[in-house]
Amino acid sequence: MSARAGARGRRTPGRSGGLVLAALASVWLLVPLVPLLVWAFADRWSAPAALPQVWGLQAWREVSTGGLGSAFLRSCLLGLTVAAIATPLGAMAGRAIGWRETRRPGLVAVILLLPVLLPPFAVAMGLDVLALRLRIPGPVAVVAVLVVFALPYCAYTMAAGYAALDPGIEEQARSLGADPRLARRRATLPALTGSLTVAAVLAFLVGWSDYVVILLLGGGQWVTVPILLGATASGSGNEPAVAVLAIASALPPVLLVAVVSGVAMAARRRLRASPDAPVGSRVAQP
Amino acid sequence: MTPRSLGGATPAVLAVLLVACTGMAAVVATALGLFPLYGDPTPGLDGWRALGPDLAGALRETLTIAVSSTLIAAIAGLFVAQVILSEARSSRIVGALAAAVLAVPHLVGAASVSLLLANGGMAARVGGVDPGGWPRLVAGPWPIATVLELAWKESAFVALVVVAALGPGHRRRLETASVLGAGPWQRWSRVLLPTSLPATGAASLIVFVYIVGSYEVAALLGRTTPEPLPVLAFRLFGSIELTARPAAAAAATTGALLALVAAVAVLATIPSLRTAVAPRAVGRPGSRAGSRDSLQKTQSASRSSRP
Repeated sequence: MSARAGARGRRTPGRSGGLVLAALASVWLLVPLVPLLVWAFADRWSAPAALPQVWGLQAWREVSTGGLGSAFLRSCLLGLTVAAIATPLGAMAGRAIGWRETRRPGLVAVILLLPVLLPPFAVAMGLDVLALRLRIPGPVAVVAVLVVFALPYCAYTMAAGYAALDPGIEEQARSLGADPRLARRRATLPALTGSLTVAAVLAFLVGWSDYVVILLLGGGQWVTVPILLGATASGSGNEPAVAVLAIASALPPVLLVAVVSGVAMAARRRLRASPDAPVGSRVAQP
Repeated sequence: MTPRSLGGATPAVLAVLLVACTGMAAVVATALGLFPLYGDPTPGLDGWRALGPDLAGALRETLTIAVSSTLIAAIAGLFVAQVILSEARSSRIVGALAAAVLAVPHLVGAASVSLLLANGGMAARVGGVDPGGWPRLVAGPWPIATVLELAWKESAFVALVVVAALGPGHRRRLETASVLGAGPWQRWSRVLLPTSLPATGAASLIVFVYIVGSYEVAALLGRTTPEPLPVLAFRLFGSIELTARPAAAAAATTGALLALVAAVAVLATIPSLRTAVAPRAVGRPGSRAGSRDSLQKTQSASRSSRP
């Protein structure tokens, strides 16, 4: 979102009004998260004091000895596994939708929307009994459900990417002598790096943030950061520990989104600066 | 439907059918007594009968939470979107904040809102209200904390969907309106509002469907009775009584039906939303993930060219 000098100039009379509105929007978005930042560093905060009496890192030490490290690794592993499976599947489906390589685009679109409409807890509940009967290990069932719930995001992100890319790019590579696989790998996919990154990040977030599917299908052995947070928040009354675990659950997704948005913004700025941008990123422009 | 006719979408379609549809079918079968944990199937509506008066209460609670959070999320999201679209320097900060809120898992939001609004929480302490005088926003007679958390987080989703949908064409439209002599009020009411409404509607539908099926926020911030359908289903599912399983499945089936019926009904009555929903859904991880259209937004340049 670039602030154009002209637009801003015209806006000058209403500028303070704009600032007030921006402040209001920021307050709405920020205030619900403020308690985390205060409680996480409160070693002692007895009511009714407005601020903690003693600040410190006691809760962080407590939580880090309570299994946060291994839960963090497990959450990362889960996110990466979901991304590693859902991204290629989504890319294939996205290609079929975006480049209209399917004879039933409507059917594909509707089936891929089903995970958005069906509640994950209901699906997980049904699979629980099946997994028990078929002796499917809990983690496998968890990954299967999360991959399916990540698929719509991956598929539609990739569909948008493919729709914006001229299929001619692959034909050109073929006419230069590449076999279909090489053309895909060396011409098409590099032009879609942006969409692939977004799809992978979305899938990672589905895996990282899940709570209810692991609770139902994980069999209690698969402790991730959100599971630790859920257990601490619903039972302990240990507010500083809740705040630390909440920050640990939120930080990786927020950082990931910040980095990806930053990279994308820089790429767009580069694109605007140079008219000779690579084909893939340019075809889309009207 | 043959694999050939589906093209490269075959693996994804099969995965969805295999996992989501099998899971859903198993839930429905359990609710109808066709799929008992042990013993012979006893087809019937015993699952729903076992829910008794809890079913009506859970339905009411689910609808109260979903309708009010969706409404607040739509209004607040539209407001945040307009701030982001104003393109002032401060709007960039608001955009980044909205993307961050989207990335935060719902469970984190629920934990934080509980620290903020509970009796003896941060709001009561900062406001200097003594514990007896604080209203029961968390686990009280009205699901206020639950609604606020859901509305807060989903408003970021609505905002980023609207921003991505309006895209770069938005500035051109406003400039044209200005040249034609439209004042700020007319630019808002005749250009910005009408052009944002389809995306707002599509995003709100996705939000509603998501909230109907969401568990953790109401589980953490709501009261014990009546519970919304997912919380009721989950509690019964974990019950040691095996007869509670069909009841849990019946509650889950009712929730899924509610989401499906709402989606189909809205899409049937407002056809213009149909084209809007599919691409919007891209951005929809919710608690299942964090961020979608913030990321989608990064692609808005390419998406703007789509019809």
